[in-house]
Amino acid sequence: MTVALHLAPAAGGPVIPNFGGASNCVVQNHQFCMSWFTHNFNSVFKPALIQHIELTAIAVGCGMAIAFAAAIFAYKQSWFGTPFSLLSAFLYTIPSLALFELLVQVTGINRFTAEIGLVSYTLLILFRNTLTGLQGVPPAVIEASRAMGYTPRQTLFRVEIPLATPAIMAGVRIATVTTISLATVAAYIGAGGLGKLIFDAIQSGFKTEFVAAGAMAIALAIIADILLVLIQRAITPWSRHRVQTF
Amino acid sequence: MVKRYPGRDRPAVEGLSFAVAPGEICVLIGPSGCGKTTALKMVNRLISISDGDITIDGQNVRSLGLTQLRRGIGYVFQQIGLFPHMSVEHNIGSVPRLLGWSKTRIRERASELLELVGLDPVGDLKRYPGEFSGGQQQRIGVARAMAADPQIMLMDEPFGAIDPIARDRLQNDFLRLHRQVRKTVIFVTHDIDEALKMGDKIAIMRDGQLVQLATADELLASPADEFVARFVGEDRGLKRLRVRSVRDLELDPAVSGDAAVTSLMTDTSLHTALSSMLAEGLTQINVVDEDGRPIGSVRFDAIARLVAPPETAAAAPAAAESSSR
Amino acid sequence: MRSSDPLTFFFNNLSLFESKVIAHLELSFAAVGVAILIAIPLGAWLGHIHRGSFLAISVSNIGRALPSLAVIAIGIGILGIGFLNTMVALVILAGPVILTNTYVAVAEVDPDVVQAARAMGMTPLVVLWRVELPLAMPLIFAGVRTATVYVVATATLATFAGGGGLGDIIVNEPTYGTAGVIAGSLMITVLAFAVDGLLAIVQNRITPYPLRKQGRQAKVEPLANAAAWQAPGNR
Repeated sequence: MTVALHLAPAAGGPVIPNFGGASNCVVQNHQFCMSWFTHNFNSVFKPALIQHIELTAIAVGCGMAIAFAAAIFAYKQSWFGTPFSLLSAFLYTIPSLALFELLVQVTGINRFTAEIGLVSYTLLILFRNTLTGLQGVPPAVIEASRAMGYTPRQTLFRVEIPLATPAIMAGVRIATVTTISLATVAAYIGAGGLGKLIFDAIQSGFKTEFVAAGAMAIALAIIADILLVLIQRAITPWSRHRVQTF
Repeated sequence: MVKRYPGRDRPAVEGLSFAVAPGEICVLIGPSGCGKTTALKMVNRLISISDGDITIDGQNVRSLGLTQLRRGIGYVFQQIGLFPHMSVEHNIGSVPRLLGWSKTRIRERASELLELVGLDPVGDLKRYPGEFSGGQQQRIGVARAMAADPQIMLMDEPFGAIDPIARDRLQNDFLRLHRQVRKTVIFVTHDIDEALKMGDKIAIMRDGQLVQLATADELLASPADEFVARFVGEDRGLKRLRVRSVRDLELDPAVSGDAAVTSLMTDTSLHTALSSMLAEGLTQINVVDEDGRPIGSVRFDAIARLVAPPETAAAAPAAAESSSR
Repeated sequence: MRSSDPLTFFFNNLSLFESKVIAHLELSFAAVGVAILIAIPLGAWLGHIHRGSFLAISVSNIGRALPSLAVIAIGIGILGIGFLNTMVALVILAGPVILTNTYVAVAEVDPDVVQAARAMGMTPLVVLWRVELPLAMPLIFAGVRTATVYVVATATLATFAGGGGLGDIIVNEPTYGTAGVIAGSLMITVLAFAVDGLLAIVQNRITPYPLRKQGRQAKVEPLANAAAWQAPGNR
């Protein structure tokens, strides 16, 4: 049921893909052919990039929804914390390729399977960070909130969650970067994205393609990280005046 | 606006029963573990009442909805507890927002209160609590507690975590504020000097029970028992002088010459008056008005007589006569 | 050899699994070993002189952001395929975790203790060797543990670069069949947990008794968690 990829380069040297206009650089399969890259960006790289971003966004979004709800539940019902933590830690430790392969046996080779796997990996960090963030709200602030006549629900939404935001955002950052990395592997089971380009390139031995795809994946991760840091700073104006621990 | 207090809560507080008059500052004080904070927190039901009733203006606090009760009571406590993620304006406007006030009204109220507590009514609105010192934060805390104009304010060692100089200023500013605003305040402290300074009435507690309820002067003059006497301090004689001022005395005629080297005002405490006498080696000092004109004088024996126990008052003039020459 | 039952497959191919597991572990431990040799001295020194916190944090951030497959892919482009390429890639992925943990661990040693040691007349190097490192060991080891589990898991991808290991079985359905793929996947999972568990026991052993339990929870655990948060993306 898995995609059959032959991994050793084809005998007789790498097969140069004929995307049109094989320059000297490409024919000789140098490390990186700039002209080929720019020439084929829109047709080859951009769709993969967009797919990759989609994969990541959906995974982190779903993971956040699940982990967030679980963390709030665990915050209110403390017995829940350990079981969920253990479960998500368990999922996290399973090597990605193995998890994807096992899932494929159940749900087939498609993006849905990939998403299930990707979501599982986000759960641990998002759950832990959200819960820790909530538990880190100073007791004095919660006491003031109660004494003022906030209902427990109002305290949760107006005080506890906003104050947990730095920790939550740190978790989202890590989860996003991790997912971008894992999504490359998920291409193996048909998820597309930059990983697919890498696997194609490994098969064909065309260096430019995987150096480019690899570099793009790395760049995407770094840019996403920086963007999320900026968003975090923007939504927590009060913490600008103190030392950032995250 | 009377608060009545018969309460019983486990062994922490037992058979506590007294009333606080409207507009009065009532201080609860006692050694650690005496139940003063427990008693305070029973008023807004942060701690539940096992037995007995607390009524505010005749209404039992247990009969009101919890949130409704608390929105009508201002609460200030030692750790301050400002919301770090909200601006000062939003912090102060916490309860008003819950009550549905308009944004404009909240901002006006916040400005008004900031001015009242001694902060910048315009510039400080948008700042965040983290930018302020501890003393300033507690001022904001007081403003927040007063925002929705509550009937009662509960203050649990509010100035305890603040350095002595700032604390002194805060106490003075709060007293000044209170003269203007006249809220009923229940104030918990473990510092007897703070209690004597702040309280219209002082309730000394021990092991969950009320030992004595009196004004500062009464407490110092006639402590109910050995425990209270030790608690207020062995120097209670001198302490009494702090709570009285020159205006409590009938002035003797002013003097001139060497004895006129220093002078007092009518609002000078007797403690300071006595201290000046000791420092200058005098037994009589002039009192002047705001323009520096002498309006009379104060004599040592007059001070002594004022704070002496009633029986010795007759004997005092004789002793004073012999020592003043 | 095809079989529809993973367990049967496993028992029928013990020698295959044995060789793959050994190759896998060889690669992993070699990578971790090299990473340790580079990162611990560097991190310890930086932590000792309390310099380079920006560097340590940046390295950790970048290391965390590196998609493992991408690093391996670029490695293929530059170094070609084989054991060396994958080992280098794994070193790049494991290094930052160990570096950051070591840096934080040494830098956060109670300054009072360090001061007492210096006052006693110990030279800086002795202070580092006798005082800071032993006290920092639990957290350093937490970093090594995180890195090792991560490397063992990521080494699965080594198959794409000709590095061998259990990945060879997992991605090769034509040869080993579905049962084989499942068996391989389960095997690597078990391996990852086993390594983690083993290292957890070792970590507990080397944590000085007073710091275990309560103290451990209070000091090392949150730091270890913090370091785990900074660990690069999983495989």
